[in-house]
Amino acid sequence: MKAETKNNIKQTDKGQTNQYVRKGSSNKVWDFFCSVKLAVVIILILVVSCIIGTVILQEKTFDEYVARYGYGLATFFKITQLNNVFYSHWFSFLLILLCANLICCTIKRWRNTFLQTGFVLTHLSLVLILIGGVVKFQLGVKGGVNVYEGKSVNYFLTQKIDRNGKLDYVKKDLPFSIALDDFILEKNEPKFQLVSYVKSKDRQKVLEVKLGKKQRVPGSDYKVTIKDYVPDAELKQEPVNASDTPDNPAIFVKFFGSEKVAAEGWLLAYDRNSYEDKKQGIRIEYIWLSSQEELDKALHSVEAAKAQLSVSLSGQTQDYPLDLNKVFKFEGTDFTVKMLQYVHNYGDRRPLGEQPPDNPAVQVEIKGPEGAETRWVFEKFPDWDKMHPAKYKNLKITCSGIAGTYMAKNTVRIYQTPEGKQVLVYIKDKQIAETVPWELEKKYTIPDTGNEVMVASYFPSFDFKKEVVKKSDEVKSPAIFAEVEGPSGKVEDWIFSSNQYATWYTDNNFALVYESTGESIKHFTSKLRIEENGQTVAEKTIRVNDPLEHRGYVIYQSSYDPEAGTFSGLQIVKDPGIPIAYSGFGALCFGVVFIFYIKPFLRKKLKKEVEE
Amino acid sequence: MSLINITLIVYVIASVAYIVREIWRSGVTKWISLGLFILGFCFNLAMVAKRSIEAGHPPFSNLYESLIFYACCTAFVYIIFEFVYNFKVVGALASVLSMLILLYATLQDDTIRPIMPALKSNWMLVHVVTYMLGYAAFGISFVTSIIFLVVKPFARKGKEGEKAEEGKEILPRNFDKLSYKIVAFGFPFLTLGMITGAVWAKKAWGDYWSWDPKETWSLITWLAYLVYLHTPLVLPKMNINKSKAAVILAIWLLVSFGIVNFTFMGLNYLPSAADSEHIYGSQ
Repeated sequence: MKAETKNNIKQTDKGQTNQYVRKGSSNKVWDFFCSVKLAVVIILILVVSCIIGTVILQEKTFDEYVARYGYGLATFFKITQLNNVFYSHWFSFLLILLCANLICCTIKRWRNTFLQTGFVLTHLSLVLILIGGVVKFQLGVKGGVNVYEGKSVNYFLTQKIDRNGKLDYVKKDLPFSIALDDFILEKNEPKFQLVSYVKSKDRQKVLEVKLGKKQRVPGSDYKVTIKDYVPDAELKQEPVNASDTPDNPAIFVKFFGSEKVAAEGWLLAYDRNSYEDKKQGIRIEYIWLSSQEELDKALHSVEAAKAQLSVSLSGQTQDYPLDLNKVFKFEGTDFTVKMLQYVHNYGDRRPLGEQPPDNPAVQVEIKGPEGAETRWVFEKFPDWDKMHPAKYKNLKITCSGIAGTYMAKNTVRIYQTPEGKQVLVYIKDKQIAETVPWELEKKYTIPDTGNEVMVASYFPSFDFKKEVVKKSDEVKSPAIFAEVEGPSGKVEDWIFSSNQYATWYTDNNFALVYESTGESIKHFTSKLRIEENGQTVAEKTIRVNDPLEHRGYVIYQSSYDPEAGTFSGLQIVKDPGIPIAYSGFGALCFGVVFIFYIKPFLRKKLKKEVEE
Repeated sequence: MSLINITLIVYVIASVAYIVREIWRSGVTKWISLGLFILGFCFNLAMVAKRSIEAGHPPFSNLYESLIFYACCTAFVYIIFEFVYNFKVVGALASVLSMLILLYATLQDDTIRPIMPALKSNWMLVHVVTYMLGYAAFGISFVTSIIFLVVKPFARKGKEGEKAEEGKEILPRNFDKLSYKIVAFGFPFLTLGMITGAVWAKKAWGDYWSWDPKETWSLITWLAYLVYLHTPLVLPKMNINKSKAAVILAIWLLVSFGIVNFTFMGLNYLPSAADSEHIYGSQ
């Protein structure tokens, strides 16, 4: 049977209105345009084209293509329009062909029945959407402009790739001006996260900040429990007296210059025990003596103590006076000791005479059964060698009095003994000028200067009391109290978000950092005002997802100045095709719902009625 | 034991229960397997609810959230289908599918972050939910296609094309028709998802369609299933017998589901993705 006869019989059998009966070869053309096969073929080509359009970068300048794909491919893309697939001539042709196919299809299968509603709606909706797209392409404009707070603009810029494949901006005027009255940028509360780090595995993992939950760090033996959380914390360190045993004696000294307090602070006998006012050439030292004899010596000698080196091995100690390059033998052993050099302040590049006695040290050379070893011995850090690699670990070396030769023009030495004797010694130009017993909270004048000194308090066992204080209830600078359980046992401490350094566990293989994840933007809005001929005709505060429409132009909140938030990025779009496209959208939605949900339901109902 | 681990385990047990049910058919095995699957779904739903409450926003702002919601939708859609179509073995694979989606979710960064201004819209809710339901249906059709292709070589000749009796269970050898019905169920959701996405895009970015990779791939997905829906009208005219046609269509469904997943998750690997405003699902 010939195709057209079959069609004719079909149509007349159903008693439908037969609109189109064509004869001859035009029937083949018509059939071609009406066929579902054509539709499927076009759609498949579109699918492939779309895939290509997402794999190859689109709408870039020619230079970018050359850089990315090489000159040959770049030229190929340009010729075949693969650099702009969706707006290329062949793609547009495909869409037009599809349009024709849809229209012909609909006309051919038109039955004018209610059940066909879905079919008609879906197919014509696509035509509408395509027409809407064409109108948008031909008559629509899209561009952007940045407006500064308090200023206004009456144009916007559109991007264009010109004939040479270069990016260009085209200015388009607006029939009104847009004024930005106010730009508001709201940020979210800063968020913080606890990050753990396992050094041996070089792995980081974010841990939950949940009070009381013991979390095992995945892939390790460490367990972390957060025991406390303060949203806004501050570490306050307060000097306290730990006990009455003078194991770390310290005094709080006030230094006055003509009635006013010029300086005040703690002097620790075994640590930072001196203060110097270089301008006036006054130095204040706090010296703790261990016996009455030492005090007697001190009162008569300018030298604070004899400079000497102490070497200990298995309980035996020998002292050697500071004497450079002399080889001393450690009696009863094979060791010899030689002092190579000494400094008043280790690491200080100034000449010895100019160095303050802040970190006195001696460089010692030890020769023993396993060869020679050189090490530095620090007066203020007698245990330094314990924590650092040494060849002869059992050999403990300390020094004292190394900086005894250092002197300021005027020196005040505050002496104290465990028996309770307290004496001030004034030394001027390396001579003892005066000795005075001192008491707490009494001012003493330093001779030949206009200054006074006072010991305000005395702590026999000075220590810092660390206290974590809550500054406020807002999340600003939080801190957590964490317990880490690992190979070295349980260790707990406070970790502050303000601390940029990690807090390490005792085995030096595990660390925790409590850090800010950065501020994120909550929302940004622009208060806009439209002016025409000097009059305000429209006003709206726009935000993302909520634009301002005026005279066919739609103004969107698109972006903002990322650094200071001084300008608001607006996107301006005019699309006369919207009503057409949106009708298509609506029709398509209703059409698919009809075909796949309503029609089968109605069909079933009809079938039942027929059977009954 | 975290909620996600419980859910995963229940899905696996449900899957096993469905296989047992296929062998020992009885009312008891039916209710056990279905019950377990529903239990898995409930746990999954609890995960989604918990995450939404903790984050303070619906679970769509990153890939982790989208995936747990997707697994949940797959389970939900399957349960509906089981009641409508009286499935058996499909449940085994559907459960595995939900489990695999959740498993992939565990590999993602699940840090809770505040939601971007662009995502604060009611349109997002409609857009994502319709898409997830559509994808879930396509996942089930993927499963039925696999079963069809596996069973087909063993199907008795002459019984092809046999219409399923009303109310009676559809046999795996007729799963080609079943797949079509499932796709027919899911396709409107996909369409609605795409259109709500376009309308939302216009509100947020000024353009309902800008050929950005995510949009283009969602179109490719839609076109792929559109081809599937129209092909049965074309193949007979090309003198391809029904049996072969069914196989071609089943294979096409497998390909199409691959496209669905690429659109959902694979886009981040495209070079053009870096430029896209759409790919915040990867954060």
